[in-house]
Amino acid sequence: VQRHSQQESHVHYAQLGTDVTLQCGSVDPEATVTWTANTTDLDASHLNGSRLVLHNVDLSQSGQYSCYEGTSWHLKYRVNLKVGTPPKEPVLMCRSNNYPNGFYCSWHLPSPTYMNDTYDITIIHDSKEIACKKDIPAKNRCYIQYHQVFSSKKYRVTLTATNPLGSSSTTISFDEFSIVKPDPPESVVAKPIAHNPRRLQVTWQYPSSWPDPDSFPLKFFLRYRPLIIDQWQHVELSDGTSHIITDAYAGKEYIIQVAAKDNEIGTWSDWSVAVHATPWTEEPKHLTTEAQGTETTTASTSAFMVAPTARPSDPDDAGN
Amino acid sequence: LVQMCGHIYPESPVILPIGSSFTAFCVLYDTCPYYDKVHANQIFWKTKNVIVPKEQYHIINQTVSSITFNDTSTLISPLTCNILVEGNIEQNIYGIQIQLGYPPEKPENVSCIVIQLEKKKIVKRCTWEPGRNTYLKTNYTLKSAWSNTNFPDCIPEDVNNSCTSFDDVTFFVRLYVWVEAKNYLGEVNSSHIAFFPEDYVKPLPPRNLFLNSREFPTVLRLSWENQFNEPPLKLKYKIRYRSADSTNWAEVPPEDTESERTSFTIQDLHPFTKYIFQISCAVSGMSRYWSDWSKEVIGFTAE
Amino acid sequence: LNSTDQGTTRHSIQQMYDLTRYLEHQLHTLAASYLNYLGPPFNEPDFDPPRTIGAKAVPSATVDIQEWHSLNDNARLAANYQAYSHLLCHLRTMDGADAAAVPTLHHSLAHFRASLQGLLGSIGGIMAALGYSLPTPEPPPITPKPVPPNFLRKMDDFWLLKELQTWLWRSAKDFNRLRKRVPPSAVMLRLESRRF
Repeated sequence: VQRHSQQESHVHYAQLGTDVTLQCGSVDPEATVTWTANTTDLDASHLNGSRLVLHNVDLSQSGQYSCYEGTSWHLKYRVNLKVGTPPKEPVLMCRSNNYPNGFYCSWHLPSPTYMNDTYDITIIHDSKEIACKKDIPAKNRCYIQYHQVFSSKKYRVTLTATNPLGSSSTTISFDEFSIVKPDPPESVVAKPIAHNPRRLQVTWQYPSSWPDPDSFPLKFFLRYRPLIIDQWQHVELSDGTSHIITDAYAGKEYIIQVAAKDNEIGTWSDWSVAVHATPWTEEPKHLTTEAQGTETTTASTSAFMVAPTARPSDPDDAGN
Repeated sequence: LVQMCGHIYPESPVILPIGSSFTAFCVLYDTCPYYDKVHANQIFWKTKNVIVPKEQYHIINQTVSSITFNDTSTLISPLTCNILVEGNIEQNIYGIQIQLGYPPEKPENVSCIVIQLEKKKIVKRCTWEPGRNTYLKTNYTLKSAWSNTNFPDCIPEDVNNSCTSFDDVTFFVRLYVWVEAKNYLGEVNSSHIAFFPEDYVKPLPPRNLFLNSREFPTVLRLSWENQFNEPPLKLKYKIRYRSADSTNWAEVPPEDTESERTSFTIQDLHPFTKYIFQISCAVSGMSRYWSDWSKEVIGFTAE
Repeated sequence: LNSTDQGTTRHSIQQMYDLTRYLEHQLHTLAASYLNYLGPPFNEPDFDPPRTIGAKAVPSATVDIQEWHSLNDNARLAANYQAYSHLLCHLRTMDGADAAAVPTLHHSLAHFRASLQGLLGSIGGIMAALGYSLPTPEPPPITPKPVPPNFLRKMDDFWLLKELQTWLWRSAKDFNRLRKRVPPSAVMLRLESRRF
């Protein structure tokens, strides 16, 4: 049977788990029709006159639904059913990792909506709205440039997520200083010190995203432990980008990480990528001496990316 | 009411520098029950019941006699003015108490230490050398100030060479301190000393020491809690240890414990041995004072 | 400045920088106790009240970022000096935490005031050492105003503490820039200047 399928396609949005009734366009509600779902005929049990009734719809029932006149198989109506959920309250986070240039806000929905969600963000500071430039690569992110710094007034950010089934918004307010969180230190290098079996020299660099180390110096937190022991040791360093570990276990391979924080404000960065090193050890006399203490800067494959809070915390610190 | 027959000037108590000269005047009143007509030349002076030689007297007029001591070192209190009345009876006219002493000397060698008494209680104690004994009631006052602020005086209690000021200490502001000494005979200030309190801190030692020996038989990890927390000041440490059966302490090289921390791993110990540890701390930088040693903590290396 | 004066000034700037960070730490503890003393909603992290009239009189640390970068040493020090002169006046009129009720808080507040006075003295001393004249003291911003209702007074205190924290944070950055501009030609002077 040749179906006449020229018809403008409509869209119907339905919330997951609800009952849906599709009208066959302007056809008489009591007329005899046939409904197909993605070209598959639907049996009469779903019909209520010319209306198609779907109970407790699920995602698989999204698709194209077509309604044909009973005997002539003339396509009367076509509708695209989209099943999904309205957006829940979005999770919004703002952070400044390149203070004082600006900060970015990023967001996500706690659960998928299976729909095209759109987002609208407004940022108010000192009763003025500030523009938030969309970050092209990162869809759910935008960037705010600071024009003024050292403000005691809070920033208030409202994000509204909308899709055809509804909308939801989140508002957070924060102080300029509280969202400053640098990126982890970079180029962490750990190496043994010749003739010092208990020492390791660790050096690192400012995160390249930190724009003005001179005016906004960072302090650092270093943690280290032998691979075979689970308890970290910590040292806080107020300036400089190097430290000598003086109590390393002789001959034991160490794992070392560094975190950074603005001297005055904000929170600690995540831990840097871990590096490994083993303190210098005396070569046994009979062996031909090779260059001792190969520099180990290989980044450990297992990146410890734990977000520190009050101070860089360790996964096993939670109990302390 | 006993009728007065005369008076000595200056009035009592008289405070005199030792070795100075002194003149007193005894003035006879017209009316006196003990005599009718007495001339000043009948007056004789006594110091603590010893008659003073007449060479030191000077009759001013009929009713006034003066006495002069060129060197008061020998002048013993009281100084009395007396006459002989009918029947060769010695009659005291008047007496004064004399105190001899020195003006205070300039206090020297003022020095201060900033002591942490509790976690949040940091006080300043200053000492000085008061100099010779003045034999007089002498008030010493410790004064302190910034260039734009004066602080309350610190009044020593029961001593004259130190004072503890319980005002909170502020670091990083140059503090001027000096001592004022004052008594009846004079007043003098010590030189002003200027210092930064953070260079003279004696912190409390770390506490809650803990020794962990799980890892290796020749290793112990000492951890502790710092009691001194005044950022941006940082601490450095001295760690000493000995085996329980020894009296000789070994010490971790100070250069190994120069940065602020809360743990340190000690190696090359004897396995399966009881060890005793102590730790002391000081403020990094210029500080001159180390804390007392902490309480001892005992640990055992593994087998 | 000859090298000796330069060394002394650099040392004084370092001290001023350390003092600022020390005050930041002190204020952090003090503000938490004081806001707890004021009670809810003042001690809630998200409390974001409008600025009261009293709060508007408190000098704001907010500054245009380009302008901040381009400030010369004199302007930078003068801004700080002026701010702390005003802030100290406000601090003296702060509710002050009834001495009998909360003695430790009252005591901490008094100590903080004294320390802030020390900072003002340090800034003034460095300005003089660098040959800058002290900003002419503007008429005290606080005209004897009728005592506002208790809640508004607390709001004033809330904003004063917050502005103080912001200023100290800004000053730390200001003085960090300053100390890097006076070369450490005679750092050893710190040893020499610590007689006895």
